[in-house]
Amino acid sequence: MKKTVMLLFSSAFFLSLTICGGAVAADKIVKIGGVYPLTGYLSWLGEYYKKAATLEVEQINKAGGVNGYKLELVIYDDQSSPEEATRAALRLVSRDQVVAITGTATAPITGAVSSVANKNKIPAILSSGYDVKADKEPFLFNTAHPTYFAIGRPFMYLKKQNVKSAGLLMPIGSLGEIGIANSKRASQDFNIPIVCEERFDVKAPDVTAQLAKLRGSTPSAIFSFTTGEPAALVAKNMAQLRFDVPLIVSHGNATPGFLRLASGFTTNIIVPTGKIMVPESLAANDPCKAVIVQFNNLHQERYGEPANYFSGLVADAVMLIIEGMKIAKSSTDPVKIRDGIENIKNFPGIGGVYNMSATDHYGTKMDDMVLITIKEGNWTQIQ
Amino acid sequence: MDISQIIQFTFSGLTLGSIYALMAVSLSIVYKVSRVISFAQGEFFVFGALTMITLTGLGVWAPIAFLLSILVAALLGAAIEQTLIRPVLNSPLGTIVTMTIAVSLALRGLALLIWGRGSHTSEPFSGVEPIRIMEAALQMQVLWILGTTLLALLVIWLFFEKTMLGIAIRAVADNSFGASLMGISIRKVNLLSWSWGSALGAVAGMVVAPLYFIQYASGVLPMVNGFIAIAISGLRSIPAAVIAGFFLGFVEAYSIGFVSSQFAEIIVFTVLIVVLMIRTKTASRTSFDEKGM
Repeated sequence: MKKTVMLLFSSAFFLSLTICGGAVAADKIVKIGGVYPLTGYLSWLGEYYKKAATLEVEQINKAGGVNGYKLELVIYDDQSSPEEATRAALRLVSRDQVVAITGTATAPITGAVSSVANKNKIPAILSSGYDVKADKEPFLFNTAHPTYFAIGRPFMYLKKQNVKSAGLLMPIGSLGEIGIANSKRASQDFNIPIVCEERFDVKAPDVTAQLAKLRGSTPSAIFSFTTGEPAALVAKNMAQLRFDVPLIVSHGNATPGFLRLASGFTTNIIVPTGKIMVPESLAANDPCKAVIVQFNNLHQERYGEPANYFSGLVADAVMLIIEGMKIAKSSTDPVKIRDGIENIKNFPGIGGVYNMSATDHYGTKMDDMVLITIKEGNWTQIQ
Repeated sequence: MDISQIIQFTFSGLTLGSIYALMAVSLSIVYKVSRVISFAQGEFFVFGALTMITLTGLGVWAPIAFLLSILVAALLGAAIEQTLIRPVLNSPLGTIVTMTIAVSLALRGLALLIWGRGSHTSEPFSGVEPIRIMEAALQMQVLWILGTTLLALLVIWLFFEKTMLGIAIRAVADNSFGASLMGISIRKVNLLSWSWGSALGAVAGMVVAPLYFIQYASGVLPMVNGFIAIAISGLRSIPAAVIAGFFLGFVEAYSIGFVSSQFAEIIVFTVLIVVLMIRTKTASRTSFDEKGM
């Protein structure tokens, strides 16, 4: 008896975590999974992921589903930790028997989901800086732009502006190492020499000593691959020193929180991001404009706030799964769906026009990213 | 390397040093009385800054918000002493220190609940335009931090030298058993030291906040550096801790400027190790002496 009650309770609990879009009772149902950081330090991001995935699944079910199947989205919270992410992914694969997984944030947590998905041959469409190598992990795809794009895109812009040199102010730690390695690559690709390089502790309350040193080498732009408070501090200290060169920061800064922190400074802050941050500024003939505007309007209508770069990543992940199912003509076979996703060509999404291949599981191009800056307290696209 | 760069390194050292020094003072005050390093001091720094930001956000006049935040921190410190520290007061030192770590974690969690994950900004006390010498710039707020540190030193000196209560506290710190035989209430003295220390931690938070961005976990770095400063000072006296705080700030800024920003942290810790090694060789005088500070 006790066991039955427990079973009933636990079933009710897990059902409550299951979000079904539209009326699906009478239809055939296929499940897709979401591992998102709904609690813990990344919870602000997880909320965007959940909202976007829910919205997309609702839309596809409203439109009749895929190949005669309605979708059911099963979401688990990874609590912003790799251990929980592994457990969540295992639950999705073994108990819920999902045909594809979406999520999650940051490379280590996504890495945990990735290894479960790849081992169990379930396609996972990731949305973080996790480096997907298509030949080694064929079941993984990523809607987040590769890190090199986020660094190369600003260099592409600097080249256009005829900028002669750049300086690096990178955080101490792995993010800084990634920033330096990719900046050096971009420096060669776009022929903009890096004339100085400094490091800083992201918790430091002052970086004026580093900035004074950088200014001594007269770089025409400063690149600091950092997110949030440290990026805002660099901008603040640059304004304080009247160090009037553009400051390029990481693509993680296209958030309302950063906008609020950095709005008051005179520094020209440049943030690489997705087109969804500036839907109105997109050219009429931009192939992604229709998808972006539609998703943004739906998001605004449903949640009372515009969509952003992070919601776009997960919305694209769901769209790619659906497109993969259509190409594979199967909604139930994970291996066929993987093959389908790999064969997606010229598919306009929110993050860009996807062209997947056996060697490229990102599918986007560097100029699918745009650059934005802060003008009068709002994001504006740099043309 | 031009002269304005060297001035900027000095300004940066002054900025960092002033933060570490003020934090060292607030750590020292608890240590001086209770002989315990309170690892919760960084959280009072955060509580002070965020309470003031919240109050000014609600339209409270800044000086009133400042005083109210001090009061809130002092009451919080007193409440913590009464409920959490007092029961373990007669336990070994390790237990008390562990309790302060537990208090620190609990307060950090509480700050997260109240103010969320986001960062908050605070207005400088007197305008945003920095002091400029050639191309170098020093934020005006640093002068407020320096002034606060000096004022805190003066008040502490007057209190411990010139008031009966201050002398009683010194007696408790020196020999609590003997002091209790003389009719001094050790409980009251401890309660006072916690509320004082918490209030001073909050003051540090409020004057430092305009320099950068404060969120629930911002207290860790000032706490660690303040602790390093008092370790360098050998726990000798509060002015020595202040000097050590500035020394640390200048070592950091000049390491960045003249050596390498990549190795600045390593240099700071190497200096700490060297100072501690020299200190252990001349160890006999290493504690806050019985005089005023």
